[in-house]
Amino acid sequence: MSTKPGANWVGAKFNRKEDHRLITGKGRYLADLSMPGALHLVFVRSEQAHAKIKKIEVSAAKALPGVVMVVTGEDIKTKIKPMPQPVVQPALAANYPKHWPLAVGKVKFHGEPIAAIVARDKYVAADAAELVRAEYEPLPYIGDPEKALADKSNRVHDEWPDNVIFQMTFTGGAEAEKNDAEVDRIFKSADVVVRQRFKTHRCGVTPMETRGALMSWDDSDGLTAYITTQRPHIDRLALSDILEIPAEKIRVIAPRDQGGGFGVKAPFYREPMLVAYLTRELKRPIRWVESRQEHLMAVSQERDQIHDIEVAASKDGKLLALRNRGVADCGDGCEGVYWGFLMPFLGCVELPNAYDWPIGDVKLKVAVTNKSALSPARAFGEFPTRFAMERVIDMVAKKCGMEPADFRRKNVVKHLPHTSITGEYFDSGDFVKVWDNLMNQVDLKGFRREQEAARKQGRYLGIGFGLGVELSGVASELLVPMESQPGYGAATVRIDPRAKVIVFEGDAPQGQGHETTVAQAVAASFGIHPNDIVVTTGDTGTTPFGSGTIGARAGSYFVSAAVMACTELKRKIARFMIHDLKVENATMDDFEFADGDIVFKKNSNIKKSFREMVERIIMAPINMPAGESGGLEHTAFFEAAKPMICFNADCAKVEIDINTGQFKILSWTTSEDVGQIINPQIVEGQMQGAVVQGLSNAMFEQFVYDENGQQLTADFENYKLATAADVPEIKVTHAPTPCPHTPLGSRGIGEGRPSSVPGTISNAICDALAPFGIEITELPLRPNQIWQKIQAAKKKAAD
Amino acid sequence: MYPAVIEDYQRPASIDEALKAAARYDAGEALFLAGGQSLMQAMKSRLVRPRCVIDLQAVKDLKGVSASGAGVRIGAMTRYVEIAKEAKLKGAYGALGDAAAHVGDRQVRNRGTIGGSLCWNYLAACMPAANLGVGSSMELISASGKKRTLVADEFIKGPLDTARTDDEVLVATTLPAAPSKAGSAYKKWGLVTDALPVIGVAVYVELDGGGAISKARFAVGGLATGPKRAKGAEAALIGKKASDAAAIAAAAEKASAELETQSDLWADSAYRKNLIRSLGGEMIALASKRAAGQ
Amino acid sequence: MNKTVKITINGEVFEQSVPVRMLLSDFIREVASLTGTHIGCTYEGVCGACTVQVDGEAVKSCLMLASQADGHNVTTIEGLAKDGKLSPLQQAFNDHHALQCGFCTPGILMNMDEFLKVNPNPTDDEIRTGLVGNLCRCTGYAHIIDAVRDAAKRAR
Repeated sequence: MSTKPGANWVGAKFNRKEDHRLITGKGRYLADLSMPGALHLVFVRSEQAHAKIKKIEVSAAKALPGVVMVVTGEDIKTKIKPMPQPVVQPALAANYPKHWPLAVGKVKFHGEPIAAIVARDKYVAADAAELVRAEYEPLPYIGDPEKALADKSNRVHDEWPDNVIFQMTFTGGAEAEKNDAEVDRIFKSADVVVRQRFKTHRCGVTPMETRGALMSWDDSDGLTAYITTQRPHIDRLALSDILEIPAEKIRVIAPRDQGGGFGVKAPFYREPMLVAYLTRELKRPIRWVESRQEHLMAVSQERDQIHDIEVAASKDGKLLALRNRGVADCGDGCEGVYWGFLMPFLGCVELPNAYDWPIGDVKLKVAVTNKSALSPARAFGEFPTRFAMERVIDMVAKKCGMEPADFRRKNVVKHLPHTSITGEYFDSGDFVKVWDNLMNQVDLKGFRREQEAARKQGRYLGIGFGLGVELSGVASELLVPMESQPGYGAATVRIDPRAKVIVFEGDAPQGQGHETTVAQAVAASFGIHPNDIVVTTGDTGTTPFGSGTIGARAGSYFVSAAVMACTELKRKIARFMIHDLKVENATMDDFEFADGDIVFKKNSNIKKSFREMVERIIMAPINMPAGESGGLEHTAFFEAAKPMICFNADCAKVEIDINTGQFKILSWTTSEDVGQIINPQIVEGQMQGAVVQGLSNAMFEQFVYDENGQQLTADFENYKLATAADVPEIKVTHAPTPCPHTPLGSRGIGEGRPSSVPGTISNAICDALAPFGIEITELPLRPNQIWQKIQAAKKKAAD
Repeated sequence: MYPAVIEDYQRPASIDEALKAAARYDAGEALFLAGGQSLMQAMKSRLVRPRCVIDLQAVKDLKGVSASGAGVRIGAMTRYVEIAKEAKLKGAYGALGDAAAHVGDRQVRNRGTIGGSLCWNYLAACMPAANLGVGSSMELISASGKKRTLVADEFIKGPLDTARTDDEVLVATTLPAAPSKAGSAYKKWGLVTDALPVIGVAVYVELDGGGAISKARFAVGGLATGPKRAKGAEAALIGKKASDAAAIAAAAEKASAELETQSDLWADSAYRKNLIRSLGGEMIALASKRAAGQ
Repeated sequence: MNKTVKITINGEVFEQSVPVRMLLSDFIREVASLTGTHIGCTYEGVCGACTVQVDGEAVKSCLMLASQADGHNVTTIEGLAKDGKLSPLQQAFNDHHALQCGFCTPGILMNMDEFLKVNPNPTDDEIRTGLVGNLCRCTGYAHIIDAVRDAAKRAR
């Protein structure tokens, strides 16, 4: 594509800049980086779910040739400060479990690290790990969150009074007692009340690249730490606090290429802490590359919530009140930043979804158990609450005798901005427009006729809908109380003397295409080509502070900060133009940056090339406008006054074989409000990937712990991901409303996108099975369980 | 993970050399490596720790499919990718092609072999059930030069167990010359496409002049006890025509009732029985269709 | 314990004494320093990120010992572009945005490169089934199918 007038780059098809290195095998992921003399670290992990550690015998491991060091929790507990540390502790009232990188005293889940081996060769390290012998005194396994909340005698964390890590009542600011009394009153008099328990299983995101770290120590420079991470700047502060090293002596670098994250690389984990400590101890580089087995045992587990939901509605189908009692199983909770409970917390905040509830009483209790701590997964915390909400909406619609689609349109929030009953702020958009666009894509009446005809032939077709209001970045207003971190986006834009532009971003992408998206935005701003822009991310030594690549921040916050920085630089360039060319009565707005030129709009003969002006300002800073200095670099911070959102609606059509419970997704159509699109293919890719991830979670993936807390699903034979042959192509359509609060009108997208998927697919299945009166209330959606429900319904009908 | 230390790697060029290499070690210390698509998993997870790996890739006598008046012979080192497209197996022994075409994925089928799968006999594998279904025989040869041939029913034992001794090599799978009206079919169900079977069903039938089933075999994989034949179902099919939907359903029902099924991560016992029922009916019909030359 | 192997990778001969237990994937990554071949699972060989071609056929290099590849020709992702020119399949992946994080991509390209030689005119269902041995977590696969279909079309 030739260089066209600047603005056209925003919204243009442009092949990703990242791709060339990735499709030729030249990507550099954590495991591809090398440091001379790097040692290999492997963790020995607990084989028990809950047990006192009597003894850990490491002598045989230490004696193995090639082994440099073996450490256990006892060896490090006085050498390193325990978690929690303030920088990775939310401002929410909760119990924060004390822990070290290696278990001290007892083990709390199957897979908890109990020892670490450092060896010269990774094969030898694995041999040594086998030689570590731990003696345990088993304790009763705490695996059921509801029982854990009720039973104080058997505790995950001995120093706590019970197993409650967090609890909260969400009233959106209303006084709880009064609010609950009003909710009670409405429920007593409502025409229609639906009560249902919904359970979402433990599953997560499991990026194809596992976690890892490669670090080196230098007595003068300190620690250089390559970590697979979404938030290098936070990791740096946390490492500083734990190791008691001044922060200026720590440089954290997220590798330029990371193999997916989806949330799982956002926490501050135990493993990098230990790698950092041992790197400093040994003063030799150390590498840890997590195995898939470790990954599936220790992290990547999310969802796992139970919601008892009650909805009151009028008989003409207007929602009147919501009541929810949520319980979440957060595992042992030992995980910096999130502590296993922030996901269910946010899930409850987002429970009301896009519906216009007059009032609600939402309560949540989060239990610790002997499982791996929940770690964030795209559709953070809300995958279970959206499933529950979208399902219960269908059940209420049915009870009101309404088509679920009509019920949704009737009850969706019509006027934005809007503050939900849990206090979530929706800044802008048009939900009805998005919904109507979806309905224009799917011929509902035609489908109902087809469904009727198919049923007469013994074929079961169904249609289902779901909605999702998702965060477009996380404003400081939410992120400071939630995670003690700022929400602003930051970008440094540096123009070099040859008129190439370098953008520095503190957040660390893992495949989202930041290099391309921001290049298009910056190219549009300066009227130059995206190939003239280089994006550097995730190095705390060179980039401005940022809280991380989380919550769809790139399209909302990072890009906005970069555009703001460009605008500042354009102002400066314009001032020089006005001065140098003696232009009268002009401001920055009178100059157009296009095609590599800067043109005075009122007289196109007055122009300079972008490069000429750049060289003049950077290399020839003499004869300048009054008060100016040379150089072209600016760091901007973008903060939205209030949280921002994006919105989507899904429609799925399915056919079910009632003899086996197996189903086929016939089509999947979406309608999206992503605001102003910057790169259409990247947006489409986010949507395709998000919906499929949601389907994979809903249909295939499940972490299973047996009655003794043994985790049975720590490999890809047993933790099943959707393959290409298991999923449909998603038809993505758009009904955008530009966001009024970002410079380009863009919205951040992709993070929350899977959340409407489980409800949509379940609604389609229930619609297909309506003749049997089947309601799906639990995930995953396994043919086995669907078949059982059909069998039970048939039996009931026969009796 | 990585395999435990392996002392020696041998790549014999003949069956004889392979047997001699194995004889240098105590029983079980040297393992024959065929395609390695199961054994490498087991070595990497350290379920097995061979001192010596004897790679059979260069043994030409173990490879390829040949047909003669006596029937079809499939070398033990013949890969799934070859079996899946082998014309000599269409019709009567179509179940083997059905199974091979859906083992794992393309990459696995490019290396995995029929012999490797049979000797490993993983409980959720396709090849043991499909071979039990078509009634193949296994040709074994030992270090002492002793040859023996076992029918699949004798060769295949419980999970990860066969009648092969550590000093024997599986040379080939043989199939008798099939009558003109014979057909077989195999299908499995797993949670995701081409996954290890939760249940796999292989059916072989021969039809008489009148189109009625004169001989039937019905084998099921995915059971905790290893692949099993449903002999009640086989008996129930004799004399029945493929067009008799009720008879087919009744035979599949019989198989479902007579085999013991387990509950695990993937399915409960009742659902496994239902899969035997549904896949069984479908495979009886398909095998019969193939037998009729349709 | 060690064995000298001679493996030709992308036309370059690597002759080296390595432990018998060394996996081919490690030989490629650590001996030949070709890190485009990725590792995504522990022992199970399910993810497909390590797919390379041995004598022209797509196989998972984590399910082979380096010793098994002794005397064979291995092609890795680094060998797919010829003379600095992307193959039509690689170009199609760029054009269709068929990758996001790119971790699974080398394995997918090595599998699909062979797939298209075996089946130059595939249906979408055949492409999807052909990809069963490669897990992708980012794309939802749709753009990968588009790219493979388009590469097949370009080759015709």
